[in-house]
Amino acid sequence: MGWFLFLFAVLWAAGLMFTSVFCIIMFSDLETDYINPIDFCNKMNKFVLPEGAAHAFLALLFLLSGQWVAFLFNLPLLAWNANKLIKQNHMYDATEIFRTMGPQKNEIFFKLGFYLISFFYYLYRMILALVAEDSQ
Amino acid sequence: MTSPAQQLPPGWTAEWEPNHQRYLFIETATGQTSWEPPAASPDGAALDVGASNAAHHKRRQYAAGQTQAYYGAADTLGGGGGYGVAPGAPAQQGQLFTPGLAAENQFQQQQQQQMQAPGQPPYYSGAPAEPEYINGHQAPVYSQANTLVDQFSQMNMAGQKGLRLYTTNLLTSPPDPRELHRPPPEIVLPPNSCVSPSPLANADYTYQRCTLNAIPTTNSLLKKSNIPLGLVLTPYRSVKEGDEPVPLVTDTVIARCRRCRTYINPYVQFIDGGNRWRCCMCSLSNEVPQLFDWDQVRNQPGDRWARAELNHGVVEYVAPTEYMVRPPQPAVYVFLIDVSHSAIQSGMVATATRTILENLDRIPDENGRTKVAIIAFDVSLYFFSIPAGTTDSTMLVVSDVDDVFLPKPTDLLVNLSEARASLESLLGRLGDMFQDNHVIGSALGPALQAGFQLMSAMGGKIVVLSSSLPSIGVGALKNREDPKILGTSKESGLLQSATPFYKTFAIECSRAQVSVDMFLFSAAYQDVATLAYLPHYTAGQTYFYPAFNARTEDAIKFAHEFGAVLAQPIMLEAVMRVRASKSASLSYLRMSSFHGNFFVRSTDLLAMPAVPQDLSYAIEVQIEDTITAPFVVFQTAILHTSCYGERRIRVVTTAFPTTSNLSEVFASADQVAIATLLANKAVERCITHKLEDSRDALFNKMVEILQAYKASMTAAGAGASAQLAISENLKMLPVLVLGLLKNVGIRQSAQIPPDLRAYAQALLTSLPSQLLMPYVYPTFYSLHNMPPECGTVGEQGVIMPPPLPLTSERLERHGLYLIEDGQTIFLWVGRDSVSQLIIDVFNLPNYEVLRGGKTTLPVLDNPFNQRINAIVQKTREMRRGPYWPHLYIVKEDGEPALRLWALSCLIQDRSDVLPSYQQFVSQLKDKVSVARHTVYYGWLTWSHRLMAVTTKPRVSDAISYFMRSHTVSWTGMI
Repeated sequence: MGWFLFLFAVLWAAGLMFTSVFCIIMFSDLETDYINPIDFCNKMNKFVLPEGAAHAFLALLFLLSGQWVAFLFNLPLLAWNANKLIKQNHMYDATEIFRTMGPQKNEIFFKLGFYLISFFYYLYRMILALVAEDSQ
Repeated sequence: MTSPAQQLPPGWTAEWEPNHQRYLFIETATGQTSWEPPAASPDGAALDVGASNAAHHKRRQYAAGQTQAYYGAADTLGGGGGYGVAPGAPAQQGQLFTPGLAAENQFQQQQQQQMQAPGQPPYYSGAPAEPEYINGHQAPVYSQANTLVDQFSQMNMAGQKGLRLYTTNLLTSPPDPRELHRPPPEIVLPPNSCVSPSPLANADYTYQRCTLNAIPTTNSLLKKSNIPLGLVLTPYRSVKEGDEPVPLVTDTVIARCRRCRTYINPYVQFIDGGNRWRCCMCSLSNEVPQLFDWDQVRNQPGDRWARAELNHGVVEYVAPTEYMVRPPQPAVYVFLIDVSHSAIQSGMVATATRTILENLDRIPDENGRTKVAIIAFDVSLYFFSIPAGTTDSTMLVVSDVDDVFLPKPTDLLVNLSEARASLESLLGRLGDMFQDNHVIGSALGPALQAGFQLMSAMGGKIVVLSSSLPSIGVGALKNREDPKILGTSKESGLLQSATPFYKTFAIECSRAQVSVDMFLFSAAYQDVATLAYLPHYTAGQTYFYPAFNARTEDAIKFAHEFGAVLAQPIMLEAVMRVRASKSASLSYLRMSSFHGNFFVRSTDLLAMPAVPQDLSYAIEVQIEDTITAPFVVFQTAILHTSCYGERRIRVVTTAFPTTSNLSEVFASADQVAIATLLANKAVERCITHKLEDSRDALFNKMVEILQAYKASMTAAGAGASAQLAISENLKMLPVLVLGLLKNVGIRQSAQIPPDLRAYAQALLTSLPSQLLMPYVYPTFYSLHNMPPECGTVGEQGVIMPPPLPLTSERLERHGLYLIEDGQTIFLWVGRDSVSQLIIDVFNLPNYEVLRGGKTTLPVLDNPFNQRINAIVQKTREMRRGPYWPHLYIVKEDGEPALRLWALSCLIQDRSDVLPSYQQFVSQLKDKVSVARHTVYYGWLTWSHRLMAVTTKPRVSDAISYFMRSHTVSWTGMI
């Protein structure tokens, strides 16, 4: 059954990856003035909580199914998101966006990288699980 | 400006002679004709400073006020006070250059030369501030200024070789208050960079100034100097009497670069026989519009070289319909008046309504389109239906503040001139209507929403008058003032927004072109920090009258300032963009961050629903690529609707030379602009980081600049030295930084209420340099022994006493002193002052009877009293902006709090934990010599230290000192 969890995780990570790519496109739109900061923040803020929740859900699945390595792998990002939520600075603020754009873009790039790595990691784990199941 | 006719002496007219392509001058009385402009020197020598002065002097009459202002300027340069002495003195570009008059021939020549080769022969390098240049309008020759002319012409000589660097030692040269009133270092442009010989081709520094008047060619050179690069703008500066009005281009011929959209300016080059112009920013060749050489008023060929946009750094265009997304909006004022118990009790409502009533005539309403609405609020909203043509009004109460609606679709927002009568009667009755209102609480948020609904289709200005903490509905705030966290690292939390409402609402307002001005009056905590976000992002301004009481002088102050705010013309639905030079593929300079009251709508576009006069904005600039051009141009453009319903573009252009020489970078640094930029950066850091981080950053910046100077400009280099060197033009920077560190907005203290701090920070980020400098470095006069001419009306208006350094050593026990920071005036009375002084000034028998506190000086029939009154009056009037400082009498042995407040203005003194100037400079010196050591010999120091600890006791002593100076944070000492 382990492979099923990881198949789900692979698809989930792919989905998260696409959100990150979307965010990066949005940021470049903002930089080149295709979108104004108010619309930008309105659009982006719709994704902040779902994305965090999706990631937290995946981490929770790993925790519940006892996939410790996968869970620990996700833990830092989970903590990071939780910290932002507690400090109430998880939302994009149109008045500050140009001042804070640099770090926020870096964060998005980091997340993209993270989801990419986790995508391949889950894929690898899925194959491992499939092979293990076959050999049984 | 389009023809020389306007500049001719009376009785002369100019006719364009198409056959000869020049003006013919005719004296109408005699019929005498001349090719030469009458009374002006016919040849290029007219451009000679003295000659033109003399020539103009002979045939011009000057209005007394203008002349006075002009003399005032002369005194400024001679060491008087640009920040203070003459009204409008720092804005001294009061001369309209008249090319057609002064040297009509020269222009012809120039035009021909332009055909052959771009460029122009006469070379003018000049800060436009100096009145000694070619003058079209007013150039009286006065002996006092002759020496100055000499000095400045010498400066020009030096200027051609580049600015010279003079080093001074901070340890031995105490700060001289008069230094601050000098104009910034000259902008020495390479020859032939400007198509106009006019000294006004570069915008006056009061409109736009740069921290460096010579831009380093590379970022590494800038980093080496450690001076922050930035622009300080006051694009909508008020034009006072004697100031040069902003020329208006009415023919809607707006020449702009196709690629970078730069407006044509004096720094472009005309090529291809004058048919094309090369953009000074991106070097693209553009076509000159056909109508550019056509005088549409007279319907005949015009003189291109007389066009305002080619001769003026500051120019305003009337914008055609391409620049409109909708018809120009009318000016709209919605007044939200707090009528809760405390507001009524303090007399705020009565004062405010009376002020509005008295100023109805002054509200800009030239073409009868201005609209006004009044909404009162406590825990409910009270709308007033003011039908036009009657004198009665109806009050409509909306007590549902959770879901705000307008009770009536019409007559709430009314035309000022049509509903004048009913407005007047309403304003007269408003105070009485709520006289017995005992409701406590404020539904400010819902009131704002209601006002917004009323005007969101048009945009305009919401003027909020509130004297309590918002407590009901959206935007309700809690009292978060906690004396325990003042002075700790948590304090900056109190300066951040407590609820997102005032930010999100600000964004909505900005979208709908609504600007908000806040007038706050509370005696108790009102969360100025949060409320100030609304004006901050909607380009308004915050005014704070703590513990307002209309029975005291507060009423005069508020009425004066509120009246000035209502009366000032405003720019509506404005956007501002700053462009800078770039090459075809590289952008040399990038605007990296913006400070001030506006909403950043795109990477380089600032949205300002309304632009009040005399607000300052600071922009940090980054050097992205190596600049290869000999000079760079900064151009600020504001597209706006004037309050008279005309779409306009104000363009402010300044060119700066580039340099690859570090000493020129230092010699061209403008200390006032640097201090203004640092103030903005420090306030931002207070909010995003902690207050002590901000103070550290300020101190470290100062240390870095001194280190850079020491390492590269002095013989001592990196080694120890007994002096603390800085260039002459940056001499005041350390004391300005000290002033910032001691300012209420930034100062280390556990006693400053967060409301006062937030207000001080709002001032620090919005005051133009002219007001900011005294706010940071107050002015201090000794009155009892001032020279006899002080306080009398001299040639340049009231003569002010010489400013003293800000130290209490100057306070004598029998003296009378005046300390002012542009927001407050203190009259310090020494405890041993003779009775005659008290009788003369205050009309009281002796010192004991005198009471400290807010006061109005009596006007008495003795010269000394009148002189002091004149000085106080002048102090209140001499600067731009609506501020009317309170006058406090401070007795030397009077109320301790007031005494301390007055003494805290003497920033060169040691106070509490804050160092005196001498201590501050020696701290700087220690840091500079020690830290420089670590930067360049970091590794060496480490190895030495390891050796020293084991072997050499003498060196280890030095090192323990070194360690101490590093571990003890300077905030601990200060």
